[in-house]
Amino acid sequence: MNPEEKTGILGWGSYIPRWRLPLPDIARVWGFNPKEPEELNVFEKSVAGVDEDSVTMGWEAARNALKRAGIDPREIGAVWFGTESKPYAVKPSATIIAEALGITPDTMATDWEFACRAASEALRVSIGVVASGMVKYALIIGSDTAQANPGDVLEFTASSAATALIVGPREEAAAYFEASYTYVTDTPDFWRRAHAHYPLHGEAFTGEPAYFHHITNAVKGLFEKTGLKPDDFDYAIFHQPNGTFPLRVGRTLGFPKEKITPGLVTPYIGNSYNSSALIGLSKVLDEAKPGQRILLAPFGSGAGSDAYSIVVTENIVSRREKGVEVSDYLQRKHLIDYALYAKHRGLIDRIKG
Amino acid sequence: MKISIPPTWRTRIDRYRLRATRCKDCGRTGYPPSEVCRFCGSKNIETVELIDEKARLVTWTVIYSAMEGFEERRPVIIGVLETLNHKARILAPLTDILPEELRSGMEMEPVLRRIGEEGDSGLINYGIAYRPVLKKVEQ
Repeated sequence: MNPEEKTGILGWGSYIPRWRLPLPDIARVWGFNPKEPEELNVFEKSVAGVDEDSVTMGWEAARNALKRAGIDPREIGAVWFGTESKPYAVKPSATIIAEALGITPDTMATDWEFACRAASEALRVSIGVVASGMVKYALIIGSDTAQANPGDVLEFTASSAATALIVGPREEAAAYFEASYTYVTDTPDFWRRAHAHYPLHGEAFTGEPAYFHHITNAVKGLFEKTGLKPDDFDYAIFHQPNGTFPLRVGRTLGFPKEKITPGLVTPYIGNSYNSSALIGLSKVLDEAKPGQRILLAPFGSGAGSDAYSIVVTENIVSRREKGVEVSDYLQRKHLIDYALYAKHRGLIDRIKG
Repeated sequence: MKISIPPTWRTRIDRYRLRATRCKDCGRTGYPPSEVCRFCGSKNIETVELIDEKARLVTWTVIYSAMEGFEERRPVIIGVLETLNHKARILAPLTDILPEELRSGMEMEPVLRRIGEEGDSGLINYGIAYRPVLKKVEQ
């Protein structure tokens, strides 16, 4: 038995801020081709409020996951927070969430860094520590208020959202893991130096040598390890930097569009970085039926990708209603303009009291 | 704004989980928590957490002349809420809502937010704000 098969997802949950910026407003302000949003297949992006950050968003996603898992928070032995938008450069975000949820002090808690796949690495490690019996439950959170240099093409998609998963024993799971595989290399596609406000990216590197190469190889690695093939999966969820890459990588691997679109959230909220693929999983878990198999393949720049095979159990039915669904958050929205977005994201230079 | 570390640290769990004091003699719940019942003076009290409890908006004020450090949050909306089960009265910032959307009696729920921060380099103060109930979920 793989370590993966001893574990599963007990609870899942997401959070999307109420505020949305229509992408045509970015094109208007910065003089981009008005067709850019259509070419990206992204139409609005979620924007965190002035009183929100990756910690507050992660807290709400984790509350949804905890309600669904129905466990005592004190039994959680690891709180692992994946982000590239930490409120503090030094001082863990994980401890704030762990304390607020009543998980402290008998737990591990730390922040993970690997661009957009920090939370996914934490997820894969959580399988190991749960399968070994080292901890009973682990709380994994992917949360970002993604930064982009104003006027950079990344600004179209860099958005805010969070997703949390509670990993525990398979017997208690709403969906169990079958297998997982990770593929990483040193690839300079996207980075942010210490003290830099915004990330930079190697224009020609973000697609082929980074996103497509790593996801394709992670998924092929999973297929080789398990003997599974695209036909065996009911859903496929890939990292979603825009609304076209996941469809293209899916096509390359042999997944029809119909298996990808249920988990494709980016067209409505943009790329929420560490929550990008995970919010796709969250949305699929909101609708999947027992027995269905899900492929999950997050990606992070720098670069790496993980592929997971996940099978839904009977427990999913009763747990779904216990938390707020991704579609509820998608429906709760209020459009703002570029000026208000600039204030929300701290893009306006001012002397602070 | 200056954030003092000791009281911020001492009250963190009270703030994060919205702790209040329920009096076992008169049955009323007071917020914030106190050593004695604020209604009858009894010391026969217990701590309750109101973080899972929805509340009704009783009244509010919209502040356009916000104090230094709150310029980004203007207009600042402060509400008085009454929790549905314990009937505790809570004074808290309201969030995810525009002034024209406010309605007396509307159902709201507590969420963890950044309540204040000391410039770009100092501490961030996390605490509870109330927002309109997002979806009715059985408690």
